[in-house]
Amino acid sequence: MTELPLRTIGRPDRRIDAGEKVSGRAVYTTDIDLPGMLHAKVLRSPHGHARIRSIDASAARAMPGVHAVLTRDETAAIPMPVYGYFIKDQPIVATDKVRYEGDIVAAVAAEDEGTANRALAAIRVEYEPLPAVTDIERASDPDAPELFEKPPIGIVPKYGQGASGELRPRRNVCYRFSYETGPADAFAECDHVFEDVFHFSRMHHLHLEPFVCIADWSREDRIELWSSCQNPFPVRKEIARIFGIAENRIAVRVPYIGGGFGSKNGCKTEPVALALSRLAGRPVRFCLTLEEGFLTNTQHAAILKVKTGVMADGTLVARESEILLDSGAYSDGSPLVAEKAGYRIPGPYRYRHIKTDCYCVMTNTAPAGPFRGFGGTQTSWACESQIDMIAHRLGIDPYEMRRKNLIDLGEPFVPGESGMDSDLREGLDLVVRELGYRRRDELQSDGPVKRGMGLAIGFKDGGGVNKPALARVKVSTGGDIFLQCGTAEIGQGAHTALSAVVAERLGADRSRVRYMPVDTDHTPFDQGTNASSAISVMGQAVDRAALSARRQILDFAAEKLGCPADELDLADWEIRRGNEAHALAPMIMGHFGGTGWEFVGEGFHKAKNSHAAPLEAPCVFWEIGWGGAQVAVDTETGQVTVEKLFVTGDAGRAIHPLVCRGQDEGAALMGLSQALFERMIYDGSRLVNGDALTYRVPLADDLPADFRSVTQEQGHGPGPFGAKGMGEGGMLPVASAIANAIHDAVGVRITELPLSPERVLAGLAAKNGDR
Amino acid sequence: MPERLDPRFDLSFSLNGAPVGMATTTATTLADLLRERRDGRGTRLACERAVCGACTVLVDDVPRASCSVFAFEVGGRNVRTVEGLSDGGDLSPVQAAFADNSAFQCGYCTAGMILLTEALLAREPDPDDATIRDWIGSNICRCTGYSLILEAVRDAARRKRETAS
Repeated sequence: MTELPLRTIGRPDRRIDAGEKVSGRAVYTTDIDLPGMLHAKVLRSPHGHARIRSIDASAARAMPGVHAVLTRDETAAIPMPVYGYFIKDQPIVATDKVRYEGDIVAAVAAEDEGTANRALAAIRVEYEPLPAVTDIERASDPDAPELFEKPPIGIVPKYGQGASGELRPRRNVCYRFSYETGPADAFAECDHVFEDVFHFSRMHHLHLEPFVCIADWSREDRIELWSSCQNPFPVRKEIARIFGIAENRIAVRVPYIGGGFGSKNGCKTEPVALALSRLAGRPVRFCLTLEEGFLTNTQHAAILKVKTGVMADGTLVARESEILLDSGAYSDGSPLVAEKAGYRIPGPYRYRHIKTDCYCVMTNTAPAGPFRGFGGTQTSWACESQIDMIAHRLGIDPYEMRRKNLIDLGEPFVPGESGMDSDLREGLDLVVRELGYRRRDELQSDGPVKRGMGLAIGFKDGGGVNKPALARVKVSTGGDIFLQCGTAEIGQGAHTALSAVVAERLGADRSRVRYMPVDTDHTPFDQGTNASSAISVMGQAVDRAALSARRQILDFAAEKLGCPADELDLADWEIRRGNEAHALAPMIMGHFGGTGWEFVGEGFHKAKNSHAAPLEAPCVFWEIGWGGAQVAVDTETGQVTVEKLFVTGDAGRAIHPLVCRGQDEGAALMGLSQALFERMIYDGSRLVNGDALTYRVPLADDLPADFRSVTQEQGHGPGPFGAKGMGEGGMLPVASAIANAIHDAVGVRITELPLSPERVLAGLAAKNGDR
Repeated sequence: MPERLDPRFDLSFSLNGAPVGMATTTATTLADLLRERRDGRGTRLACERAVCGACTVLVDDVPRASCSVFAFEVGGRNVRTVEGLSDGGDLSPVQAAFADNSAFQCGYCTAGMILLTEALLAREPDPDDATIRDWIGSNICRCTGYSLILEAVRDAARRKRETAS
């Protein structure tokens, strides 16, 4: 291709969903209704842990307007009525036991939600309460109550060099991931070995569109499902397995998704809705309330024990870690999160020895699963806090400590991995400049309010493990472009970015591209919209599909014009040859007669498998979030005010700059909120703030006075035009940057989130007491 | 059919400038009433507790969480929803500012944010940053980190002033 100026890539044109979203016309799953559609509601356990003695739903079944009631009596006839990612341990409705407050015990489909709720109130359940376990450090004690007496069905994926996994390694642990590289005796050579423990809080995604699906199984041999889900193909596979139905009988359709942040991976509402639809012989809408969302999926609280060996000059040598993740009552995505947390805990630094064990600990709380950052938020919190702590202990500036140990551009993270695809020092220096970090001594004052600054570098392998992606680009006789691929539009702007790639390759305005509805019957296979993979993984498949269509169009024109294809270019649905322009539509009509034609380009991408890579395939790209904060700490009240927050990611190439910015800033605010206040509060097995009023999320007036982001374009990404993924990196550095800034301001180190006034005051009291 | 616990009655009000009349029930919320109309689904429900503001509509130009307003409360009043902002398909200056500034991601809060902005700019055509933060701070956006929304509000104010002058 000749190097022409780009017409679409890098331009902040309106997103392709802008018109629909600002005018209220965008269609979400919540907007769909079908003729004869019923409404589902579920009965949830009031106990954290209990055996079910009996369920009497006869009164509910007899109520007018009730069309189906689902209890363990009905699910007993379903071939495999359990689901989960690696471990199939979550029942569609509870069978022998309930394992958390909110566990689903029964479901009703009725004419409307009110009738369904009244029917639920008529179901009598007799429970035998059991002791609950909620402390992940005590869950493996021999006398701890056990969630699963018998092992559920599960698998351990194939791992590569140095990595391993194990099901049920100990009591109430559903999965362990371990990784080791380099000689363990490296610790013996260290001048210092530091061991620190970090506690990480638990958030709920609080996506505004609730968990919702519309399930139609009114015909025996056909399932139609509209779902607010991030991964329709894995959901289709899971449904096929649960109900014993062939995948080509199941259509999963994904309209616009009103936010997910990880929670909408895997089955959530779908199995209940389908089972009810089959029983009722009518379509069923199952829409959870926002409060039920808290009981459906959460982030992983964690305890991270980190042991790091260093030389006196600050050179990192060895790191051993033990991570306990609070997985809640069912495994959901926990084994995958464990894999990632266990793998990411070293951070973006060079070591001679790394060893990690990460455990998924089951508790009688809501199931935890994927959450933006996917284990990387937990590990960045611990790693970037400890780097600062070690720097201070050694009397080295935290900035210098980082610079000394960062992996170089192109250097593999660990043996067998792909090379680092961002210049980490360049990003760090950008933060230092933007924050004014070198002038932070000027912030010192004698008053009760002290100021300080902190830095952090969040780090994760991006793009998912072993993700295949397929895409199809069709071009009609008139030059209308159809893009078919499975990436869901969940707000991240993927439909805009992927359409821009196609438009650029085909020399067309972006408005000529239509992103076709995601429908597993027609859309090429895809593993899911997650892991910041849209542009980095699907983008490569889309790019190849577009280039294939382009090649076919040029070859066709070359034959018609009797010249080599490499003399031709494609722009605005004309073939350009020097100063000549040949309209394609008449050329195609002339060749194919009145019927017209479609050029169809297919594209495929999958990272190459390699047993040398610990996770069996080298990482697609490295997602880095650099961050810096300036705080003011009121030493009288403990109040922390974040005055400046600066984050920067590396988009490789920003396909759409405003979309990139929105991803980094949205992620950063989630990080800020977790750092300062946002968290799920449990009292034993009871969630005490599971509603919009008492669960505090950030609002516009929580923004730091100076809140900025910069999207770097270092150009080393694997995606089209050098792009890398975005969306998670901005969250990763924020909590540790703020904790580091608090330490810089008042010399108090807080190792537990949130960084509350109580903890600051306790730290100040302990520090003053020591004097 | 189940027995209705809530009595039916006839309701009339002005919706986006046009008179509407319909039979509804005393227990029906304004949000449900709007969403039952095929052209009313731009009003979105999220928390249903008058906290998040996703379902914000204007009742006599005052922003209200329609999830927590009974339909009967709007009898005889003027209700404006996102569907009423576009003039014959042309976006309003506020909508255009949100579109051009990418002041949305998933889009679920967007109608509420836009109506909030319409109400703000109707009262204060040139609001300062603190006022904008204060107003936008009454609704939840979980995606954007708010900065792009704040920029869109400032941009919308400029556009409206330019249109007016």
